[in-house]
Amino acid sequence: MIQMNNIVKRFSNQTVLSDVNFKVREREIFGLLGPSGAGKTTIINILTNQLNADSGSFKIGATAFETGLMLDEDGLFDRLTCLDNLTVFADIYGIPREKAKAALRNVGLEDAMKKAVLKLSRGMRQRLALARAILHEPKILFLDEPTSGLDPATARSIHKLIKKLCDNGATVFLTSHNMEEVVKLCDNVSLLYKGKIVEEGSPVAICERHNAIKTVPDLESVFMKLTGYREEDVI
Amino acid sequence: MRSAKTIFIKQAKDTMKNPSSLIQFILFPVVAWLMTEFVAKSENFEGMPVNMFVVLMGAVFAGMGLIMVTAGIVAEDIEKKSLRFLVMAGVKPNQYLGGTGSFLLVLGSITALLFGLIGIFTTAELVKFVVVLIACVANSIILGATVGLMSKNQQSAMSLGMPVAVVLAFTPMVANFNETIYNASSFLYTQQLNIITNDFTEDFTKAMIVIFINMVVLIVLFSLAYWKRGLRS
Repeated sequence: MIQMNNIVKRFSNQTVLSDVNFKVREREIFGLLGPSGAGKTTIINILTNQLNADSGSFKIGATAFETGLMLDEDGLFDRLTCLDNLTVFADIYGIPREKAKAALRNVGLEDAMKKAVLKLSRGMRQRLALARAILHEPKILFLDEPTSGLDPATARSIHKLIKKLCDNGATVFLTSHNMEEVVKLCDNVSLLYKGKIVEEGSPVAICERHNAIKTVPDLESVFMKLTGYREEDVI
Repeated sequence: MRSAKTIFIKQAKDTMKNPSSLIQFILFPVVAWLMTEFVAKSENFEGMPVNMFVVLMGAVFAGMGLIMVTAGIVAEDIEKKSLRFLVMAGVKPNQYLGGTGSFLLVLGSITALLFGLIGIFTTAELVKFVVVLIACVANSIILGATVGLMSKNQQSAMSLGMPVAVVLAFTPMVANFNETIYNASSFLYTQQLNIITNDFTEDFTKAMIVIFINMVVLIVLFSLAYWKRGLRS
């Protein structure tokens, strides 16, 4: 579905991506892992044609219209309501406006439909940005750190939605520096460090290769239990 | 066309909820009306032209207000990355600017008409005044969009737009007191507004030609900014 071959990108004298290769299969959740500044967003920008690579090539099995995008900067229209934000894009895509309401229901924002975006919490903004990304039912979804800075309950609801999208046929490409999130969600991952892919494979296979399979205390479940969060609350 | 229409509607909803933009379209005619009613028409100021404040505030609105509003709107969408998402969804930058600009032109034209109704004009004068004011509004929208495109954020749009707007809005006023400045500024569209509205017997066609030439120059400048910003591709 997505293939990157020998991509190199430089900004001034600094090489941000050096000979990057990876492959994403159809209907999988692929994670691009790496610390801040590793080049994850640059890869998304190249794949979505917002930036040109200096050398190398890439292939995507979807048109621009069949691609959904959620970035760290949400680009929402602050003064408009949640519904108006999505209606603008529904009209641009030429799809029925009813789909805007359906997308809001999918991310659990139906009660905030008429609320102005500037009155939303960070988690709600993230969910609205995700609703905009899935509005036109894209084949490929690019998610740049989709749960960064969110509380565990909101993060979990976004995880569940991502899995649902994948089950419905979408290919998901996400970047993260949250290892736990990636282990939970991704079928395959590539580890990016200083612009180079240093490891790739399924999370379990990578951990086995590095003797890193261990049982860790699940603090998140404790948090969920103590805050009264129920699985059925998940969107 | 569909995208430009969508952006037009989006801009209408957005501006109606943005008091700092909306006030520019209301404040100037309100001040003109107050000054006309309580100063220009007052017996204490005999000899003062009755339309003085209508013409003055109209020039400031067309030469200053519109530049700042348009620059602010475009810069905000660039700064918050909203333009990026629109472009990613398939909106061409010219459709975005066409939709935004045409909404501002409609709103600016309504304000121009308000100015005309506040003043005391004959029908012929009213038509000339409104037409020349709308033409200046159109020029200022193009100039404001250029300033917005050249800016990284709203703050830099204000810093860049303010000196341009001040020169355009106030040069015609200063020109009334200095012949050299009067002659030098006659190529500015705002000066043509000043010339026509001060004396409706002046050559209207010549004024409109100068305003049109200004428009062509501004479109060229806008295209350069558009190209420099990398929006063409």
